[in-house]
Amino acid sequence: MKNPVFLIAKKEIQIALRQKLITALAIVIMGLLSVALYAGYIAYTQQQTVVENAQEKSRKEWLEQGDKHPHIAAHYGTFVFKPKTILSLFDFGLDTFTGTSVYLEAHYQHEFMFRPAQDHSSMIRFGELSASLVLQVLIPLLIIFLAFPAFTEERENGTLKLLVSQGVSYTPIIWGKILAYLSILFAIVFPFFALAIILSTGITTSDSIPDPWLRVLFLILIYALYLLIFVSFSVWVSIQSSTGRNALLTLLTCWILFTIIIPKTTANLGESLYPLPSMKIYREAIQKDIRNGLDGKTPKTTREEQLKKKYLQDYKVDSIHKLPLNFEGIRMQVGEDYGNKVYDIHWKRLIKIFDKQNRISSLSSFITPYLSIRNVSMGLTATDLHTSIHFQKTTEKYRRELIRKMNHDMAQNSRYGEFYEYKASKNLWKTVNGFRYKTMPAYKILLLYRIELLSLCCWAILVFFLLGYSSRKIKPVL
Amino acid sequence: MNRVTITLLRFEWVSFTRNIFQIVMLGCTFLLGLYAIYYGQSEIKVQRETIKDVIEIEKTEFHQYQASFKEELASVTQKKKLTIASDPAYAWHRHGYHAILHPHDYAALAIGQCDLHPFYYRLTGMSLHYQLFENEIANPVKLYVGNFDLSFVLIYLFPLLIIAFSYDLYSGEKESGVLPLLHIQTVSIRKIIIIRLVFYFCLITGLALLISFIGLTTSGNIMISENRLATLFWLLGVIVYSAFWFAILFCIVSFKMNSSFTAISAAGVWLLFLIIIPAVLNVWITAKYPTNSTSLAEITRRTSLENEEDENEAKEVITEFLAHNPHLKDSDSLIHNNTLAKAYAALTSLKDMHSKEDVDHYNNQIYQRNQRTSDLHWINPAVNMQGVFIHIAKTDLNTFHQFHTSIELFHRNISDFYFQKLFWDKPIQPEDYSRLPSFTIQRDEVKWSTLILLGIAKVSIAMILFFVIGFVIMKKKRI
Repeated sequence: MKNPVFLIAKKEIQIALRQKLITALAIVIMGLLSVALYAGYIAYTQQQTVVENAQEKSRKEWLEQGDKHPHIAAHYGTFVFKPKTILSLFDFGLDTFTGTSVYLEAHYQHEFMFRPAQDHSSMIRFGELSASLVLQVLIPLLIIFLAFPAFTEERENGTLKLLVSQGVSYTPIIWGKILAYLSILFAIVFPFFALAIILSTGITTSDSIPDPWLRVLFLILIYALYLLIFVSFSVWVSIQSSTGRNALLTLLTCWILFTIIIPKTTANLGESLYPLPSMKIYREAIQKDIRNGLDGKTPKTTREEQLKKKYLQDYKVDSIHKLPLNFEGIRMQVGEDYGNKVYDIHWKRLIKIFDKQNRISSLSSFITPYLSIRNVSMGLTATDLHTSIHFQKTTEKYRRELIRKMNHDMAQNSRYGEFYEYKASKNLWKTVNGFRYKTMPAYKILLLYRIELLSLCCWAILVFFLLGYSSRKIKPVL
Repeated sequence: MNRVTITLLRFEWVSFTRNIFQIVMLGCTFLLGLYAIYYGQSEIKVQRETIKDVIEIEKTEFHQYQASFKEELASVTQKKKLTIASDPAYAWHRHGYHAILHPHDYAALAIGQCDLHPFYYRLTGMSLHYQLFENEIANPVKLYVGNFDLSFVLIYLFPLLIIAFSYDLYSGEKESGVLPLLHIQTVSIRKIIIIRLVFYFCLITGLALLISFIGLTTSGNIMISENRLATLFWLLGVIVYSAFWFAILFCIVSFKMNSSFTAISAAGVWLLFLIIIPAVLNVWITAKYPTNSTSLAEITRRTSLENEEDENEAKEVITEFLAHNPHLKDSDSLIHNNTLAKAYAALTSLKDMHSKEDVDHYNNQIYQRNQRTSDLHWINPAVNMQGVFIHIAKTDLNTFHQFHTSIELFHRNISDFYFQKLFWDKPIQPEDYSRLPSFTIQRDEVKWSTLILLGIAKVSIAMILFFVIGFVIMKKKRI
């Protein structure tokens, strides 16, 4: 005799295939997945070309800026553009809401400019169709439509009684049904997962993700777990409900709470509890600390006086004109270093507020598995806030290196009091390498999302426990 | 109202009051509505406090300049302060003015795009584009998720409430075995369903109006002239949007399917209007009308004269600038004084002039793209209604475009104020501080009303369409 789990699964699949609504929904979802991936690919290629061209142009301008004083070059600066990663075609994440370019110049850390959402009307706030949206939000709805009558229908038709009287225990019935729904889902998403694997292995090395295949593997694993949780949860609700109507309404209510209401309220709550400073106040605080010193007692003039004294003592001379290097270059670099130190303190404070705000969403993933998958998926596709912050850090590091080289050259090769007399050439500009960005490795990202991963595991354990518990308590007739 | 109608309404009222689940749902929605109002108001309060701080900073800055005229010039710092206050060569790029977009009273109810766009800018006479593209600090996760404001509750949650209350108006009767009894009555089933729908329409729309009224009265004075029309439009919008969803439910119910199928269909329509259609349109718009902001990045660069020590180059720049500014043209006789400072001012102004074409081209691309988007509002009344709400609250993209246009004019006034002094070699006098340029936003109130009414009309047409379809199908379809 065949394993009852497979027998039940086979019967469930046959029933599902006979239902026009389910077939239609499956086709719609496959269609949406195709459109989403195609649109993602178009957006990726468009953006990638634009960014590569802009980056190239910016590099060319830097190298061919002509002979000029290094400090003028430091102000002329350069631009860095955020590259789009290949995996972003699957999950757009926060790309629409983070700035895409930044101007790097001396003394000042500019903010990222041009958030793509700013170019859209308010419709953008309704979300964009991506494969991740389909998998995270729409497929759970298909699962609900598939699984809500799992037990209620058997009970309403009296077939559950018949099944039990045949000697089948509840556990194989439950798992047979879960297996059937998972097989249907697998048939729907398999072509897309296969495509993702092929794409990830075929990615050229120019992409900024160093380990795409590993990320794709993790994505497949966590999405499989997420869908398993939703299927098991839906079957459990069906077991617990007296009628199909009740099961459906309960599941739809849960879906709305999980995917719409809780994510929004937690993000909003985060902002209300930990308010962000306005840009003006934030900038003013940085400038004030640079002006008056971090302790509020050593203003810029005093710091410069101390620096001057130190150099005169170190080189045992009585005038900065007699120093073997241009003191102006030293002063600028020390000023730059101090500005960086102040900036780092304020920036870290700001990032900490972001962390606190987002922690509420992370912890809420114990209430809704959607938040776990949303956050981990964004992380793995490098479209999340952590990657955005990592990118900002990399650009800032690049800016500091660029300015340091300019100040160093000025200190070493020009004389104090001379400005227009000294001009650096392309040889100096060439010492600053072109900007290249590589994302964090996948394991680091996963570590950052350990709460979400833990919550996903807890969800899986919870639904399996509930199913196990309910299988012993099921009544064939309510 | 005849007796049958009264009996039906009374029956519906009794069954509603006995249904704890429905009462709890209404109560929860009411509480969510109150939370949304509170959240929106707290968001706008933060903006208003920032604006207050910004105004204070500007006041302090200018107060210092004015005070420096009266101070004794004992220290280097005091002398420097007076130079910045009186010498236009410094003042034009040091004096910071703020262009502020004060949030409308009802912005708290529909936050719209106002968390995405900066609502104030500090402007000096320096290149406008150097100052215009800096963003306000925002958590991208929060921007992505959106705001839980009243417009969200009305647009997303109320349709769900409507679905939950009315999906089984027909199938419920059928499944509980009451339908044959209804058929033997003198009243038609269609009439019974319509009366029941009207009852729930009054109930749910009443709740939506109550929450809206609380929101409107606590966010601003509804009687003042700026808010009166906005209040009316908001309440009208709520009624029409609610009616639209009842018309959809009537249409779905008219197919006389079982409860589960009706609920699935209604949930499907909700999903279609609120998630799928906007999500598909957004990616379509992005792919079809791509914008390229990288070209704009370049114009934010700080630039200087090629050879600062070359006086001829400086003079050439000034001459080119004067050719574009006839009101300053005669000052060319003074070109030898303060040449470098004048050249910088001229260069900045010319740079803005040359970049204007790129900026206008970019803005035009966005305008075209959003025109296409608003054309598509016909197929999605939910997005359309959201557009109407944020238009009423003046938190839409159009308002930010108007803000930017007004900023351009303001920046020109600032530059002109200082350049008049700089190019005519005149110092800034204490009395000039009473004639400082000030910012006003240019608005088109007629266009504002027209767009709102047009938006509401589109939803009304969709509502009528669905109702008529439902009415016809209900008649044709047998049990």
